[in-house]
Amino acid sequence: MNISESFVSALQSVRANKMRSFLTMLGIIIGISSVITIVSIGQGGKEAILGEFDDLGTNVINVNVKSVDNEIEERDYLTLKDARLVEEKIPEVTTVVPASYGMGNIKTDKDKKFAEIDGVTHNITKLMKLEMLAGRFLSESDIEAARNVIVIDNITSKKLFKRPEDAIGQKVKVTIGDSNSNLTVIGVAKSTGGDMAEMFGDNYPGVGYIPITTGERVIPDARIVMFSVMLENMDNSNEVASKIVHLLEQTHRNKGKYSAEEGFKELDMLNNVINIFTMVIGAIAGISLVVGGIGVMNIMLVSVTERTREIGIRKALGAKNKDIMLQFLTESLILCLIGGIIGMSLGISLGLVVGKIINIPLGVSPSVILLAVGFSSAVGIFFGLYPANKAAKLDPIEALRYE
Amino acid sequence: MIIRVESLTKVYDTGAIQVEALSNVSLSIEREEYVAIMGASGSGKSTLMNILGCLDRLTGGKYILDNVDVSTLSDNELAAIRNKKIGFVFQAFNLLPRLSALGNVELPMVYAGLTKSDRLQKAKAALEKVGLGDRMHHRPNELSGGQKQRVAIARALVNDPAIILADEPTGNLDTKSSEEIMDIFEGLNNEGVTIVMVTHERDIAQHTKRAVVFRDGEIISDSRIENRIIRGGNNA
Repeated sequence: MNISESFVSALQSVRANKMRSFLTMLGIIIGISSVITIVSIGQGGKEAILGEFDDLGTNVINVNVKSVDNEIEERDYLTLKDARLVEEKIPEVTTVVPASYGMGNIKTDKDKKFAEIDGVTHNITKLMKLEMLAGRFLSESDIEAARNVIVIDNITSKKLFKRPEDAIGQKVKVTIGDSNSNLTVIGVAKSTGGDMAEMFGDNYPGVGYIPITTGERVIPDARIVMFSVMLENMDNSNEVASKIVHLLEQTHRNKGKYSAEEGFKELDMLNNVINIFTMVIGAIAGISLVVGGIGVMNIMLVSVTERTREIGIRKALGAKNKDIMLQFLTESLILCLIGGIIGMSLGISLGLVVGKIINIPLGVSPSVILLAVGFSSAVGIFFGLYPANKAAKLDPIEALRYE
Repeated sequence: MIIRVESLTKVYDTGAIQVEALSNVSLSIEREEYVAIMGASGSGKSTLMNILGCLDRLTGGKYILDNVDVSTLSDNELAAIRNKKIGFVFQAFNLLPRLSALGNVELPMVYAGLTKSDRLQKAKAALEKVGLGDRMHHRPNELSGGQKQRVAIARALVNDPAIILADEPTGNLDTKSSEEIMDIFEGLNNEGVTIVMVTHERDIAQHTKRAVVFRDGEIISDSRIENRIIRGGNNA
């Protein structure tokens, strides 16, 4: 008896006892659907969170001036010259984005907005995706000429002007401490704060990007306290980090004043936490799959007893032990496989509904389908093995005599 | 010679006591014979039937079926022998209730590994031969007792076995159906099919050509049937 014929015959016998088959499948359906719901919500949540970070480049080493012991002298601060040096001397480095910053107010005649003022270069767009809603971002010549221009984010723009287009060309006054500067708005960028910024509303500080060279005038005590160094890849980032620190120490003739660390270590950690969380809940849901499997085994044992005479007849007609084994194993496999497929559809639908309610996109991957089919087949075979073996070992005479 | 049994013994070990169901039985059956095995219940005839049908193993002695010594074969080899060399007809018909007549007749060929189209063709031919050409798609519960037994005979025939073993084939049938079934056996035997039939009814045994009578696990007589009942039959 070949496999496809046992499949057809197993399907017939599953159909012959519809209600019983359905109740047996129910355990598998509940098990598979809960595992799939949880895994796809976990996956979706992870993708949503990682998506927030997607705007930022991830092959980044952050170089900081250490502020320990307040022993930083004037000559220890990073310079634009250092940035160029790192870019030129270390081949793994693609771009260095230096930054200085201050906190202050961006004012028009009528209103003002508290904001972070970042002195940056045009290269910052390589580090983070800045979506322009109007106008343009800082250009290389803005940096070189130290022009009095500013790019504000849409939170600031919303507060001070009506529409992003209205902001372009307007004069604003940037006040940081005692320093006041008049700058022209040349662009409005989408806020990098994302949903978080929306939630905090007006309390969330805005951002203004100005040329780092202009920053020397606008931001009092403007010092470059950080480089974001972008690399080709992170393969030997530790080595590159120590090379950068070494180069800076040589240039500034000091020691122990700089640190260089991977920019997104926290991301890996977050990733791990979500994975563990998903796995734990998934495992708990998986227990119901085991319970379902025991239900399948129970029904298969009943079925073997009920059909003892059939087994005897089949053996008398020439069925080998393996034929009987295959027949019952196929039945339990089919019960679980159908249960698995129903459970999968149910799990995906449930995941979609829950995902909609808690507002995350669902991560239904092909691996989820493989998981469902694989798991339910495994349960079917594992819990079908004992009843099928019992059926195969029946003595033909005893079985034929069974009433 | 199709069946040769030498000094066959069968002992059932029930733990506390040992029951000797067959002791030192020797029997030969030639090709194309039509033999009745008779005896009261407990005489050992059913035990012999099970051993001849390769459903049970013997305790001592030798059993050679169609030139194969089956006393030494494994379970799987015995299954193959049952499939190819033996056709069973049971008192209780033993059809599978979920399958149609056609499906039931197909079953031995499924285990023989025949293709679906070969199976269908042969099963149809076998059912037509027993006069059920118009009942092929009926399930057992839609058939009368006589019809069920005819399906069982078709199933027994379909792999062209060396012998047909019939265990009280008319035990559950009324007189008229019994006569019909015996006619079919008669016809088959005339075509050269070897038949061994267990029965305790003398008038059923009268249809056969030879009667072997058992008592207490031993053969007490082995004789040709005089005054055979030969009814119309196919080739009477």
